[in-house]
Amino acid sequence: MTPLVAPEPAFGRAGFAAIAGLLVVWEILGRLELTMFVPSASSVAVAWWGLLTDGTLLRSAGSSFGSLLKGFVPAALLGVALGLAMGRFRTLREVLDGWINALMSAPLSALVPVLIALFGVRDTVVAATVFLFSFFVIVVNTMTGVRGTERSLVEMARSFGAGEAALFARIYLPAALPAILLGLRLGAVQAVKGMVVGEMLISLVGMGERLIYYGNTFLIPELYAVIVSVLLIALLSSTLVQSAERALVKWK
Amino acid sequence: MSATLGIAIERLSKSFGAVQALADIEIQVKAGEFLALIGPSGCGKTTLLKCVAGLLPADAGRIVIGSRPVSGPGGREASLVFQDFALLPWATARENAEFGLLLRGAPAAERTEAARRALAKVGLAGSFEQAYPAQLSGGMQQRVGLARALAVNPQVLLMDEPFASIDEQTRRILQDDLLRLWSEERKTVVLVTHSMEEAIYLSDRVVVLSPRPGRVHRVLDVPLPRPRETLDVRASGEFARLVDELWQILKKMQ
Amino acid sequence: MKRLLARGAPLAAFLALWQWAAWVPISFNFPTPWQTVVALAELLGSGALLQASATSLQSLVLGFGAAILIGVPLGLLMGVVRGVGRVARVYLDLLIALPTAALIPLVILSFGINVVSSAVIIFVFSAPFITMNAYGGVRDTRPRLVEMARAFGASWGKLFTRIVLPSALPMILAGLRLGLSRAFLGLIVAELLLSPFGLGKLIMNSRSMFEHDKMFATVAWTLVLAGIALAVLARLEARLLRWRAA
Repeated sequence: MTPLVAPEPAFGRAGFAAIAGLLVVWEILGRLELTMFVPSASSVAVAWWGLLTDGTLLRSAGSSFGSLLKGFVPAALLGVALGLAMGRFRTLREVLDGWINALMSAPLSALVPVLIALFGVRDTVVAATVFLFSFFVIVVNTMTGVRGTERSLVEMARSFGAGEAALFARIYLPAALPAILLGLRLGAVQAVKGMVVGEMLISLVGMGERLIYYGNTFLIPELYAVIVSVLLIALLSSTLVQSAERALVKWK
Repeated sequence: MSATLGIAIERLSKSFGAVQALADIEIQVKAGEFLALIGPSGCGKTTLLKCVAGLLPADAGRIVIGSRPVSGPGGREASLVFQDFALLPWATARENAEFGLLLRGAPAAERTEAARRALAKVGLAGSFEQAYPAQLSGGMQQRVGLARALAVNPQVLLMDEPFASIDEQTRRILQDDLLRLWSEERKTVVLVTHSMEEAIYLSDRVVVLSPRPGRVHRVLDVPLPRPRETLDVRASGEFARLVDELWQILKKMQ
Repeated sequence: MKRLLARGAPLAAFLALWQWAAWVPISFNFPTPWQTVVALAELLGSGALLQASATSLQSLVLGFGAAILIGVPLGLLMGVVRGVGRVARVYLDLLIALPTAALIPLVILSFGINVVSSAVIIFVFSAPFITMNAYGGVRDTRPRLVEMARAFGASWGKLFTRIVLPSALPMILAGLRLGLSRAFLGLIVAELLLSPFGLGKLIMNSRSMFEHDKMFATVAWTLVLAGIALAVLARLEARLLRWRAA
């Protein structure tokens, strides 16, 4: 598996300082009016507030969240199931491992036109893109988690007479849980990426459509406002999974 | 509680692919005996223990605990203690001690009761019950491992280098506690170890295995008086002589 | 041989599913695998595919090259100078979480529709991952090794080149692989949106003319191209890291 440095927005003191610094520099650069492509942070905030209050943002975000759920929930369920099976059954792993790894790093954005050919220009394409972007990383992490189960724990449970079902429920699943949740967190971030790519390419609904629209109409502060919103959605998705992690993995 | 059981290992052989790990192993462990297995690394002592536990099937020969031939893991007669403790990191000390009973389908109240008693036996009563393994020292973790093995009330304890990854001072205390438990509970113990002092200090007999394939090379009787935990046996000349005798056997084998 | 057969099974199943989908057909003008292969041969024969690939690879080399040249040193610096690392890490985390495609309209506005734009997008897609891995590699250097070298009186320069750099190398190389995969992703998204050149143009043109067989062929070609590039990099990585095999 490709080693990943897990994204953990470090909102310690350094985090706040870094972000405050960024905002200050951004504001100054914007005020200097060097180029129209760098509006000040405050003008972006104003634009963001405008989009929020006139309902544009909520409408787009609503559609985006819909696609996100329609793609990510099946990806999570099927991804964890397949990952568990691949972790446990060697034959399945040998058959699928290479393909899953290749697909995890493949430029799946190239498949969006194929998805459009399949489903037509509809938000189903976005959900399918979300699925493709998040599925494989969830499979790989789940499988790695199962494979990382301490052998002695398995032997211990077997020595007390545990059968296959008990091994799964009492050993493999809890042992893999941290890796599964990490996979879901990475998958959630990937899902938002897939959502944006899909929406931009079909340019019909959601945040992605707004990005294209404001880009084409040179509404730069609004464009920035949507970029920031998309980033916030990504961080929010990741944080949601992370709080589930904290609730479920108490023993570390 | 049923009577203590002996173990008969008869003409046991085991191979992994082309590598023969054990050849014609013949050992009789008496009921209530404390037996140590020692030998150079690669002599198959852990493999032998796993065969006795039913975790590995034998290629030839058989193992009988009491009157029941071992045919697979999960037998009620014996429980295992692991070198790396094999504690569930997501379970508290008490939940870990209950785990064997849980897998055997015991009702919750009975499990808790048995786990409490076992934890008390190994000196971990009270607030430690709710601690996760990561919050316990190595010595305390192995006490939990021992409590889990005792909670199912086995007649035989199979111990795979249980104190190998524990520091020397703690190890000596655990060894004494084990001896005390053994004299109270009168269980049959098979201990795999690579420490000559540990083998001599704890056991009635030491079985020396030779490597590749593992065979019974020598059996050394340990006629040291008991209870050794109170008699300061380590300081005796006889202890030193026995350790040296064991060393001479192992040295010639290299 | 048996292994190869097992590995080939999912491909065979996929092709069968595809064949079935075309046979139904599952949607308008859905090409069979064979029609796609024929279209691929045509596109290769006419030179259109190779020309488009060359254009795409040009921006890839520019963007990915820049990402390596800037990302690796920056990551090393972050790892060595702790203060820089702590601050820059926050921005990196944000950039890694950010759906990078959202920046494409901004990049197009700033740089126009050309190869530079495409290279910049590729850079933004891949550089954060390359930097993060180089940083992680330095940070994960075993302190014991550093202590050992310092006990032998190693100078700061020696410590860096003999201990820190080799320790970080596996992570750096893994970062390059991750970065290359991200670069291809960015390349395709950029070209699909910009569409006046490269593989993206070929895909979008075929789509708008309803030549789905050509579109499928180009998509398949793109995936294979990326797969080959990643495999070559993985092979290179394995050779450089022979010491890790044992």
